[in-house]
Amino acid sequence: MKRGGQEMSKTKSLLSLVLCLVLCVSVITGCGAGKNKQTSKDDNTKSNVEKKEDDKKGTDIDTSPITLTMFSVDVNPVETGFQSPVAKKITEATGVTIEFEYPVGDVAQKMGIMIASKEYPDMIFAKTQELTQLVQADAIVDLTSLIEQHGPNVENLYGEYLNRLRFSQEDPSIYALGASPVDEETWAPVNGFQLQHAVVKDLGFPKLETLEDYENAIREYMKKYPTIDGQPTIGLSLLADDWRWLISVGNPAGFATGAPDDGNWFINPKTYEAKYRFTREEEKEYYRWLNHMYNEGLIDPDSFVQTWDQYIAKISTGRVLAIADANWEFGSAEDALRADGKAERTYGMYPLQLTKDSKHQDFRDVGYSGGNGICITKDSPNQVRAMQFLDWMCTDEAQILNNWGIEGIHYTVEDGKRVVSDEEYKKRTTDGTNYKKETGIEVYTHPFPRWGRGKLDSTGNPYVVDSVDLIKQRYTEPEKEVLKAYGVEMWKDLYPSRDEIPKSDWGAAFLVNIPAESEIPVILERCDSIMRQSIVQSIIAKPGEFDDVWQKAMDELKSSGVEEMNKDFTNLVNKQIEFWK
Amino acid sequence: MKRSFLEKLFDSILYIIMIFVIAITIYPFINILAISFNESLDSIKGGIYLWPRKFTFENYTEIFKYANIGQALFISISRTVIGTLSGLICSCMIAYTLSRKDYFLRRPIGALLVITMYVSGGMIPEYMLIRQLNLVGKFWVYILPGLVWAFNVIVLRSFMESLPYEIQESAKIDGANDLQIFFKIVMPLCKPAIAVVALFIAVGQWNSWFDTYLYASNKANLTTLQFEMMKILSNLSASQNMAQRAAMAGMVAERNRISPESVRMAITVVATAPIIMIYPFIQKYFVSGMTIGAVKS
Amino acid sequence: MERVVEIKKQGLLEKKKKMSWRKIKDQRYLMLLSLPFAVWIVIFKYIPLWGWTMAFQDYTYASVDKPFWSQKWVGIKHFTALFNDNRFYLVLRNTLAMSFLKIAFGFIIPIIFAILLNELRVKKFKKAVQTISYLPHFVSWVIAAGIIIKMLSVDDGLINNILMFFNITKEPIQFMMKPKLFWWIVLASGIWKDTGWDSIIYLAAITGIDQELYEAAKVDGAGRFKQIWHITLPGIRPTVIVLLILTIGGMINIGFEQQFLLGNPAVEKYSEVLDLYALTYGINLGRISYGTAIGIFKSLVSITLLLSANAIAKRFGENQVI
Repeated sequence: MKRGGQEMSKTKSLLSLVLCLVLCVSVITGCGAGKNKQTSKDDNTKSNVEKKEDDKKGTDIDTSPITLTMFSVDVNPVETGFQSPVAKKITEATGVTIEFEYPVGDVAQKMGIMIASKEYPDMIFAKTQELTQLVQADAIVDLTSLIEQHGPNVENLYGEYLNRLRFSQEDPSIYALGASPVDEETWAPVNGFQLQHAVVKDLGFPKLETLEDYENAIREYMKKYPTIDGQPTIGLSLLADDWRWLISVGNPAGFATGAPDDGNWFINPKTYEAKYRFTREEEKEYYRWLNHMYNEGLIDPDSFVQTWDQYIAKISTGRVLAIADANWEFGSAEDALRADGKAERTYGMYPLQLTKDSKHQDFRDVGYSGGNGICITKDSPNQVRAMQFLDWMCTDEAQILNNWGIEGIHYTVEDGKRVVSDEEYKKRTTDGTNYKKETGIEVYTHPFPRWGRGKLDSTGNPYVVDSVDLIKQRYTEPEKEVLKAYGVEMWKDLYPSRDEIPKSDWGAAFLVNIPAESEIPVILERCDSIMRQSIVQSIIAKPGEFDDVWQKAMDELKSSGVEEMNKDFTNLVNKQIEFWK
Repeated sequence: MKRSFLEKLFDSILYIIMIFVIAITIYPFINILAISFNESLDSIKGGIYLWPRKFTFENYTEIFKYANIGQALFISISRTVIGTLSGLICSCMIAYTLSRKDYFLRRPIGALLVITMYVSGGMIPEYMLIRQLNLVGKFWVYILPGLVWAFNVIVLRSFMESLPYEIQESAKIDGANDLQIFFKIVMPLCKPAIAVVALFIAVGQWNSWFDTYLYASNKANLTTLQFEMMKILSNLSASQNMAQRAAMAGMVAERNRISPESVRMAITVVATAPIIMIYPFIQKYFVSGMTIGAVKS
Repeated sequence: MERVVEIKKQGLLEKKKKMSWRKIKDQRYLMLLSLPFAVWIVIFKYIPLWGWTMAFQDYTYASVDKPFWSQKWVGIKHFTALFNDNRFYLVLRNTLAMSFLKIAFGFIIPIIFAILLNELRVKKFKKAVQTISYLPHFVSWVIAAGIIIKMLSVDDGLINNILMFFNITKEPIQFMMKPKLFWWIVLASGIWKDTGWDSIIYLAAITGIDQELYEAAKVDGAGRFKQIWHITLPGIRPTVIVLLILTIGGMINIGFEQQFLLGNPAVEKYSEVLDLYALTYGINLGRISYGTAIGIFKSLVSITLLLSANAIAKRFGENQVI
């Protein structure tokens, strides 16, 4: 029985420990709840009183302290609780502090719960799909009257594009302030075919206009140097990890055959007829070329299996001669190469085409596309304050603050010109992430309304801290050598300029508004799945089988409803173009 | 005890098998440790297997710098301890009643329980329920909904059923009621099962972050360690996306010192270390023999 | 005769477990120990099932505002759509195939492992092996899949290196792009990852076996193998059967993370599983009703499997779950 006694005291002490713990927890969580200052409730009463006063037109904004909540679909990793110097200045000017919330992982689930439980923040930054859902759920406000009354700077920023922020013909409300920068210049290509500087240099800077030239360069170099740094040389490496297949395997087919970046659509700029891009004969020929490359051993056999991490690791060793990707997808690998002193193993961007008949459309002008943007929720008691805040963010003062920082600290004005010291600029470029976190610069640019690169303000200074000169400054030595050899000053000079390419009247196709009841997203998903598999099959097939594989894919697309989808989407595109006229 | 040649052979083969098992199961962990202590930019290049190439603590400092670690740790530990104890008691109780073949509600409650393993109303109805019960943003949302897992109850019940019934009968004859039998006789005999279920519940509590995400994501004082880790991971991925976007815009070349992959490794280590440390204390309950006979007296 | 009738009557009475007040009073403590939890179960697990009605409506985000009774009822439209989708059958096949493989081959391995582990004599080694063996369980599939893909790659992958070293093949084999191999890769990697953890239950079960039985057997002259066969195995049999039944019930619920991360477009026809399909075509496209319909389908299949397995177990005189 002694044993029982011991057990009892053991149990007793265990129980008392647990009770203590429970007590502690309730106290702390209870305290926390009380401590939670600035709940919207408190401010509710405040703003209700003020609402009456600022219902007049004009820019007299209320600057009493208030906290607005915002859910942003894009995680903003450099936002640190609205405490940075820039953030504090924003609060000083508007009285507003913003409490951000982000999804962790899947956005769809979070949206589902938010809508079903009807617990909304004041503002939401949403992309097209979520925006459609929010409109469906009748959760967001038509901003038109708010803009008229409290948003003169908003009107000024968007100018003629304000029209493009309208949702649809049936519902011409403005639901979201577009997050894309307005009037942005592009000074660097985003998409193209990449080839290592070392390769072009070694081969004497050969002509690079078609994919055949590309193929020859790769083949020649591989023959010459079967290993690099002790490891086998790889020709062209592709990536099919999850959604990235679209960027590395899917899109290049369009770019190489004169199609612009319209997601998975190809829209005829004259007839406005839309079709699922993989049904184009030209793209089929691109994949035939890839099939040829694969069978010649010029393509990385791991292309369709490797994860993104493995892809980057491979590139960072310097043995991948060529890639067909968007520049942001392998940026970290280039960083590693540069850090290792292997700048000659980084890549140049070439607007290669399948045949000489087409042009690379990377620099196409899309006008302005609404689509993604910040909306204000119906349930918010602070709609006016929110709009006033957004309006203030459109002012010159705000734009300069967000891009340049605080005068005297992050930049100076010399002879009417805004200047960032070399020292400061170095800080900005070598440890960008931490710099942003500490200063708050370039933290509140995206997704708020903003001017694009290259736009000059009334003093002739650019809003955004970047310029052609700064870009040229950042080029590495091998880069400069290659550019010189090809007779250009910047990479973009190799590409057809904006004026050479037909303008898009529909913005970017992947930002076209698709009504909620439409079957298009479902059919699109199915088609993408079919093509994803079929493209890979067709590339690894024997050359004689290519046509059969491709035909099968086309048949499967037909039976999945691709023609219907094309028709539907064409209608939507036409509607949008009409609507925007 | 003479061991036949066959037995000796068996033993040797056994040892070889076990060593092979150790090799293939410990490798990923060593690999993760190595990468977590390796400089992030260097890890990008791959090729790290058993030890770091460029040793650094930077991945760990990155984690500790940004997470609300103190509070998160407190909450995680609290919910694990409280959740395990409460879940354990409740599971044992209901398991006991289900192990008694004479209990008239045995089959209905048993069926009720088991079916729950395979049905779910979906995330949205569950969320609405929690909201109606006023549990959103409260600590008890970590404890109450997950109190009883059918699987654990079944494990415990199995164990209890395998105990010789005579022990309970003789106690009944001695005048003990069901409660006393449960606490004083059955529970002590189920140590292995209790240890295992405690382990399962504890690990479940320790690793869960989705409920924090759904029900308490905006409450800094209720955050859990796993959730903080998830946020960091999500932040870093976004950081890469941002760098991508910036590069896309031809803007300032982002130098992202820390990559998600390295931090993911560090996170795995941080999240798993406590479990590994506590484990030996629980292990002893089910990795050695037990004698029931002694309790018969 | 009378006696027989009386005995029969007694038997019937016991069988019926008549609800007399006496009975309730007798078992009041048992009820105390169980009814609160039964209530809890109903609240937390059964009440949310009202969500199943969404599968019979056209529930969209526009419906959120409308009260329950004014939703648009569409009967089994979503189920019909589901069963008309070819892709559904494909993913169902994949899901069930991988589950089946796991049960056929993967179920027994943790059991064997637990038994072998139990046979280790040196306690310290036994504990060490056991602790290390479950480590892969805590490694997320994101990391684990990366390791496996690298190991099977043609570019300096471990497996190919070994095969070529021993001259089994001349060219490296692209394992992960062979559709037919995919299911086996999933099986093997699943075994590697979860055996250690899954074996814990069996270890506990083995621990619960009365040591005296072993002593008695040794006295009778039984060797190790005989002991395992006659004592250990029967001793853990109830646990094994119960877990088998539960696993069969859960066949259709295998999640999707592992298959998704290990998969690639070349093997997609074999790697897409039901849960991924539900995610992609359900909530990710805002089609809540459709997603719910799939959920209901899964639940019904699971319960059917569970009850069948349970009935079979009963027939063979084994332990049951219900």
